[in-house]
Amino acid sequence: KTRKPDNTAFKQQRLPAWQPILTAGTVLPAFFVIGLIFIPIGIGIFVTSNNIREYEIDYTGTEPSSPCNKCLNVSWDSTPPCTCTINFTLEHSFESNVFMYYGLSNFYQNHRRYVKSRDDSQLNGDNGSLLNPSKECEPYRTNEDKPIAPCGAIANSMFNDTLELYRIDNDTRTPITLIKKGIAWWTDKNVKFRNPTGDGNNLTALFQGTTKPVNWPKPVYMLDSEPDNNGFINEDFIVWMRTAALPTFRKLYRLIERKNNLQPTLQAGKYSLDIAYNYPVHSFDGRKRMILSTISWMGGKNPFLGIAYITVGSICFFLGVVLLIIHHKYGNRNTSADIPN
Amino acid sequence: RSMNVFLIVYLCILISKALINTVLKYVWQSEPFRDEPWYNQKTEPERKRNLFLQAFTDFLAFMVLFNYIIPVSMYVTVEMQKFLGSYFLTWDEEMFDEDTGEGPLVNTSDLNEELGQIEYVFTDKTGTLTENNMEFVECCIEGHVYVPHVICNGQILHNCTGIDMIDSSPGGSGKEREELFFRALCLCHTVQVKDDDSVDGLKKNQLSRRSCIYISSSPDEVALVEGIQRLGYTYLRLKDNFMEILNRENNLEKFELLEVLSFDSVRRRMSVIVKSSTGDIFLFCKGADSSIFPRVKEGKIDQIRSRVERNAVEGLRTLCVAYKKLTAEEYSNAQKLLQNAKLALQDREKKLAEVYEKIERDFILLGATAVEDRLQEKAADTIEALQKAGIKVWVLTGDKMETAAATCYACKLFRRNTQILELTTKKIEEQSLHDVLFDLSKTVLRHNGSLTRDTFSGLSTDMQDYGLIIDGAALSLIMKPRQDGSSANYRELFLEICRNCSAVLCCRMAPLQKAQIVKLIKLSKEHPITLAIGDGANDVSMILEAHVGIGIIGKEGRQAARNSDYAIPKFKHLKKMLLVHGHFYYVRISELVQYFFYKNVCFIFPQFLYQFFCGFSQQTLYDTAYLTLYNISFTSLPILLYGLMEQHVSADTLKREPSLYRDVAKNALLRWRAFIYWTFLGVFDAVVFFFGAYFLFENTIVTSNGQMFGNWTFGTLVFTVLVFTVTLKLALDTHYWTWINHFMIWGSLAFYIIFSLLWGGIIWPFLNYQRMYYVFMQMLSSGPAWLGIILLITVSLLPDVLKKVLCRQLWPTATERIQNASRHCREHISEFTPLACLKSPRYRSSDCSNSPARRSNSHSKKMMFTHWRGVDYSVLPSVFGYSNKHCRSSAGYRYSGSGLETSV
Repeated sequence: KTRKPDNTAFKQQRLPAWQPILTAGTVLPAFFVIGLIFIPIGIGIFVTSNNIREYEIDYTGTEPSSPCNKCLNVSWDSTPPCTCTINFTLEHSFESNVFMYYGLSNFYQNHRRYVKSRDDSQLNGDNGSLLNPSKECEPYRTNEDKPIAPCGAIANSMFNDTLELYRIDNDTRTPITLIKKGIAWWTDKNVKFRNPTGDGNNLTALFQGTTKPVNWPKPVYMLDSEPDNNGFINEDFIVWMRTAALPTFRKLYRLIERKNNLQPTLQAGKYSLDIAYNYPVHSFDGRKRMILSTISWMGGKNPFLGIAYITVGSICFFLGVVLLIIHHKYGNRNTSADIPN
Repeated sequence: RSMNVFLIVYLCILISKALINTVLKYVWQSEPFRDEPWYNQKTEPERKRNLFLQAFTDFLAFMVLFNYIIPVSMYVTVEMQKFLGSYFLTWDEEMFDEDTGEGPLVNTSDLNEELGQIEYVFTDKTGTLTENNMEFVECCIEGHVYVPHVICNGQILHNCTGIDMIDSSPGGSGKEREELFFRALCLCHTVQVKDDDSVDGLKKNQLSRRSCIYISSSPDEVALVEGIQRLGYTYLRLKDNFMEILNRENNLEKFELLEVLSFDSVRRRMSVIVKSSTGDIFLFCKGADSSIFPRVKEGKIDQIRSRVERNAVEGLRTLCVAYKKLTAEEYSNAQKLLQNAKLALQDREKKLAEVYEKIERDFILLGATAVEDRLQEKAADTIEALQKAGIKVWVLTGDKMETAAATCYACKLFRRNTQILELTTKKIEEQSLHDVLFDLSKTVLRHNGSLTRDTFSGLSTDMQDYGLIIDGAALSLIMKPRQDGSSANYRELFLEICRNCSAVLCCRMAPLQKAQIVKLIKLSKEHPITLAIGDGANDVSMILEAHVGIGIIGKEGRQAARNSDYAIPKFKHLKKMLLVHGHFYYVRISELVQYFFYKNVCFIFPQFLYQFFCGFSQQTLYDTAYLTLYNISFTSLPILLYGLMEQHVSADTLKREPSLYRDVAKNALLRWRAFIYWTFLGVFDAVVFFFGAYFLFENTIVTSNGQMFGNWTFGTLVFTVLVFTVTLKLALDTHYWTWINHFMIWGSLAFYIIFSLLWGGIIWPFLNYQRMYYVFMQMLSSGPAWLGIILLITVSLLPDVLKKVLCRQLWPTATERIQNASRHCREHISEFTPLACLKSPRYRSSDCSNSPARRSNSHSKKMMFTHWRGVDYSVLPSVFGYSNKHCRSSAGYRYSGSGLETSV
């Protein structure tokens, strides 16, 4: 038996190969191309972002002048809820669909203890987990020996301010229709979150044997009157359950659809925001905001992306020029000179 | 080795990160509404926990969170890379020897990268530089020289037997001595005879009247017995303790073998005691001249000595033969002594040696033999290449100084312009060791002062280089500790001299001294990587001592090959092993190590930054699956493949340009600067990932339907950018894109995408959380996320590309020049082809005219020697434009074999 190795390209390390080398010559065009592509994209994004209308009101009420100042120290169970009204003026009309957000600051939804404090199988309608929630939910797992549904800190601290928007036209307040469906991910609403299953559709019966989260005024099956937006598949609830990445965040609250093509969704003018102030944030220095925003193909107002694109594009272009100079100045040295020996 | 140091640095980083975060956590938490806001309360046991215990748990939790910065999987990958990579060595066709049917053996794959770091090569001479294929050349009896005249063209002609006497026929007593000499050679050996009918490829002796094969552990003995056979005396066999020889008159003579005083490398001689049929008892001894001459009491010492020295100068191996006649009484004494020594339970070796010493004395000198050992093919070329590569080659041999020096000249270890410094016993006898050493160092250093050592032109003719010859006795004087404590001084001085010599020859070395000298260099203050190469059992100690031990699968058994880290069939294979494989292995492993650290910094640093935004709560940025699979499957295969396949320069170029080896010498690619660069690159990229995603997500909407993303989308975005950047970074570093590389790099990116789609596409029933459900798909449905990913990848790759281009343009290394050139050359291949064709035939013809001339001369040693020195081995002109040099090979590979290697 001969031990002679096979003469294959692989074994002899002679596989046909492309051998690129990064030289100024090859990289130059790439820099220019990147520059030429990025700058227009950046300008496009920047312009789009600037065309987006966004209006933001802070209604925390820390300033004494704020109408909501009186509600600053509300607790969870104040009945009737403390209400306040903030008037504001939109300078520009909002042409397309308007999205209404609430924003919280200094609220650590991404705290580890908080993030894990939920039971996804309970929320997915698993009957076993409904009555015996995961240990992760502690200390919001049981209350008075009854399992909490939905359990956990996230659900327990669900945002429960009610915001209503009125247009003030010659001292008459016309309510603006706020649509509360379509604010959660479709997959969340239809797959990930499910009400428990059982005989019939009576949610009250299905949630038998559980108790409401401590901070909630009402049990989960009374979140909404419509059956397809009640219980675990309540969209406000689902939105809240998607924990935010950063301590300052906003969450979609309501949609305002454009009625017809003749009129902007929200005309410029006076508006008032009625707030049922239930959610205490003062204790942890939090802020609450209401945001009205239109949306383009690239989402809401975000100057960062456009500026970043323009900057990177320009830098690439600039570097391309620098490299070109270097290439010309030193290029000859490299192609004609050889190894000194 | 530097890997471990880097690991410690990373461990420190890890611990400090965890500490910083723990401290900050408690500072941040000092306000109760932060520690435990109403929406996020602790459980009872958590609240009751002791503060210090809690802090400690937090510290550990941070450690767990950041532990990925210590690339555990690196060890697995490195091991795999080494193990699989070593197969390329064994598979190498060029390192396979057709004659013996042996390829290289890899006994350990641990040292692959060290092959690219060798600074000192210690080589044995016999069997390593030379073929250890002995040929009996002449013998000298009482000053009369006998040459079997049948040696022509290095081949034995079968039809003629007999001897050709150069000197006049000796007289009567001479005749007697002559017969005794031949008998001595016939009897004094340990050769075994194998009958012809069981041929298994060993050397077959056609000449003998009864064809048979001689087998011995030492090729010298075989050569001698065969040579004597040509001179008329045939050793037949050893039968019932009787040695049978056929003398010139075809008469059978029987000698009773009484005692064998076997060979050892300390005594450097062996003896037999035989009883002739007439009842006389003889002791025949053969051995190195140095061990025989002092024991001789009569014989024509001076004549023989001069002959021996002449032969040694010509590079022949010489042995002296002596005898003494023992009376029955003497013999029985000797026998008794031997018997006692052999039966001794303690210190048997030592006692035996003493007895041998007693018996082997008062010889009558008979004569000397000379055996030629030819240089291995391309040994000179290999040594030259190694020296060009900045490797210092030391030859350690047990042979005589003259023999060894001649071989060194032949294999171009010493060139004609090399100034030889001698540090031998003879010189030390004249002056004191002290003076000699100081003189030498003065010579060397004076020269050094005027010329900077690191000029590239280590081999150019105008530069004076030094060769040092030292012998075993002198070495032991240097190494011997002195009472006045000046030994360290000598040692330093000696090392200083050695360091400035391009080549060192150590002759008359005992096996342990070989190891000693390797150790001396190994432990000198620069801690160079040493390589020892040898073929025999006497090299084993040196092979074991050196960092890398290489055995030649040679004639003196496989002992060296078994004890070595690598075994190769021929010395010439060392060139490819070091210059090509070693270089590749080193480049690959260094990139692999650096890349692993880089990618883990990229991976974990965003995690660290995220802690500042999640209340130092040890919240992970990435999903568990991503955390687990990042090192295992998303980023591991491309780098492993890189570690196996990368060829930054083609293998042929590396072989042709040994000087490229200097580019990686002294661990150049794993120095602190490189390490810090990679780490900072990693940190920069991590900052780009994290803050890029942060500004993209912070308080804005990134979907076109107004819905919001959560923390897992944030992490997935960072992770996607991370995986792409890290993989593309490797793609930028890859210089050798085979289809496998394409498959792996694009495949692992595709795998990441497919995995993410799958991972988020299903509600996994066995998981108790579904946090990744549709996160990846939702992210992909958002325009800004795409734009952000592209932007962040570009930004994080930009500095590295820029650095590479600028460095290549402004401060190119030799390797990069070659790369540029070969690229340039590929583009303009047609331009250079004619030139290449012009150059090559000239080489070819000169090579052809060389070889017949050499062969016809080979029976006359004297002439051959002058021939060796006479032929001007012009160092391959590196003068003509390098570009055409490279192009020539690409234009026609067939020339490179004959053109570039001037073999001896």
